[in-house]
Amino acid sequence: MEQKRDQWTSAATILTVAFALVVPFLSNNLFLLNLLSLMLIFIIFSSAWNLLAYSGQGSLGHAAFFGIGAYASTLIASASGITPYITIFLGAGVAAFIGILIGLTCVRLKEWFLAMVTFGFAIIVQTLTVSILAPMTGGWDGISSPRLLSPSIAGYQIIEYYSILLITIAAIVAIWYIMRSRLGLAFSAIRENELEARASGIDPVRYRLIAFALSAYIAGIAGALQIHHIGYITPEIYSVDLSFWPVTYVIFGGLGTLAGPIVGTVVLTIIWEGLKMAGITFARYVIIGVLLIMVIIFLPKGLVSLPERIREWRDERAKKAGPDTTGK
Amino acid sequence: MVDIGILLQILFWGIYAGCIYILLATGLNLIFGVMKIVNFAHGEFLMIGAYITATVFIISGINPYVIILVSMLALIGIGAVVERLCFRPILGTSKLNEIFLSIGLIYIFQNGAAMVWGDEWQSVKSPYEGIAIPLGPLNLPLDYIIIMIVTAAILAALFLFLQKTRIGREMRATSQNRKGAMLVGINVERMDILSFGIGCALAAAAGTLWVVSGQVFNPYMGSIPAVKAFAIIILGGLGSIPGAIVGGLLYGIAENGAAYFLGGVWKDAISFIILIIVLVFRPTGLFGESGE
Repeated sequence: MEQKRDQWTSAATILTVAFALVVPFLSNNLFLLNLLSLMLIFIIFSSAWNLLAYSGQGSLGHAAFFGIGAYASTLIASASGITPYITIFLGAGVAAFIGILIGLTCVRLKEWFLAMVTFGFAIIVQTLTVSILAPMTGGWDGISSPRLLSPSIAGYQIIEYYSILLITIAAIVAIWYIMRSRLGLAFSAIRENELEARASGIDPVRYRLIAFALSAYIAGIAGALQIHHIGYITPEIYSVDLSFWPVTYVIFGGLGTLAGPIVGTVVLTIIWEGLKMAGITFARYVIIGVLLIMVIIFLPKGLVSLPERIREWRDERAKKAGPDTTGK
Repeated sequence: MVDIGILLQILFWGIYAGCIYILLATGLNLIFGVMKIVNFAHGEFLMIGAYITATVFIISGINPYVIILVSMLALIGIGAVVERLCFRPILGTSKLNEIFLSIGLIYIFQNGAAMVWGDEWQSVKSPYEGIAIPLGPLNLPLDYIIIMIVTAAILAALFLFLQKTRIGREMRATSQNRKGAMLVGINVERMDILSFGIGCALAAAAGTLWVVSGQVFNPYMGSIPAVKAFAIIILGGLGSIPGAIVGGLLYGIAENGAAYFLGGVWKDAISFIILIIVLVFRPTGLFGESGE
């Protein structure tokens, strides 16, 4: 049974990657390509948020790291002329550094307190960006950001798409590796029971900080990628909306699982864009909100647990129909 | 040197802003006390209260201070429905679920309001607009004074309700010890619905006062005051109503001081800086007794 499920998982993984690889050949629709690029970036962003949540810390201000990575990468790239392909990782380093500083104030806080402080940090960072840092950041008007690839290169959108796909896969593999390593084990130990974790020699403060740094780094990569993809950055990047999206995606897909952020981002993006095509604007959010609440109440482990839940329901029904027919 | 008159004026504005925060924070505290949950979407009830007030006022032309009763009653109903449909099913599950659920509620209420009332900034003129009472170096707008009196009256009524009535006593019992309350025959689920409804009604009162003071509002205006109210109850200590009152006043004054001395962009950020400083040095809040 376990083996069969593993096979299904690998098959799904291979199919997804294969689909992502061939999409540019199926359609030369640039709108679709752009949409997919942004979706991939949000997969990275939600996965970063998920990694922090994996250590038991729910942030409501992840837009701070997304934005810091983007601003830092933009400023480094504009000042030095280095290609964004490299500055993305430098900018994310700045985000990780700030992440550690924010983490230092947060590591002893839990639940609402942590949510509040992280939410507040996103607002503080936004305020700094438009006030003290305005000469550098252009204030509310924002600044233009070097493109990932110059639009003069033929088929640059397709190369850009593949670059983003590559970074997304690298990020997910890295997170997969972290979750499986001793580090990930320590994260989940702290999340499940801090006292027991401490008793077995895990220093919660240290590991929480590591989780913060890693999550901020990956979120910074996502932010930098998005901004170099769009070519312009404004302080709107720190908006509450941007902090809430990864949370929504992850809860929808399945908290604390590797596939959760991916499934959640893909499914919600499809619903979101589908509703947009149907001409629905404000009601889109209402629908997403209702779906989110229903998932939290009826499917607490997210969409990835849906097959399991269906099996449970079926077993239950079979049990009700006649106890001898299930073969268990 | 800063003129003492300006300082007093800032103090006055701060107290006025504090009134709205106090109402929000007291509501959150009441809900937290009884149900041990925090609703991040609490500000959305303020926003709905504001729109109900504005709509009723524009249609009927009744004195907007009277409409506070309409908006409070309406929000008791809405609050009860939200509690029953959304929060009760997740009671006792992971604490993070409350935060996530609130995000869903924020989406629904903000954009539901935008569908009904549009997403433009609006404002309403109070009948007492422009009337100010000079007091020494100060110029006190009549509206602000009425708001302070109304807030004090609501808080006094809440205090009497909690101290003197049977339901109020049952509510306090539930908040002190849920299992114990069950044992002596208190219907704790009824207390949940009631406290959630009253908490929402307080938010609605804050919304009405927001509107009558001539402040602009739109469907997205609720988030920031709600987060501040939450910061206030952390400052004052979770579950402590005197803490919420002192915290609310301090917050309003600090915020207006910062806006005056550092510039308007700092208005929101300063409150979080205070919050973070408090949390780093005193994680249980200024008046809190025990950590959660």
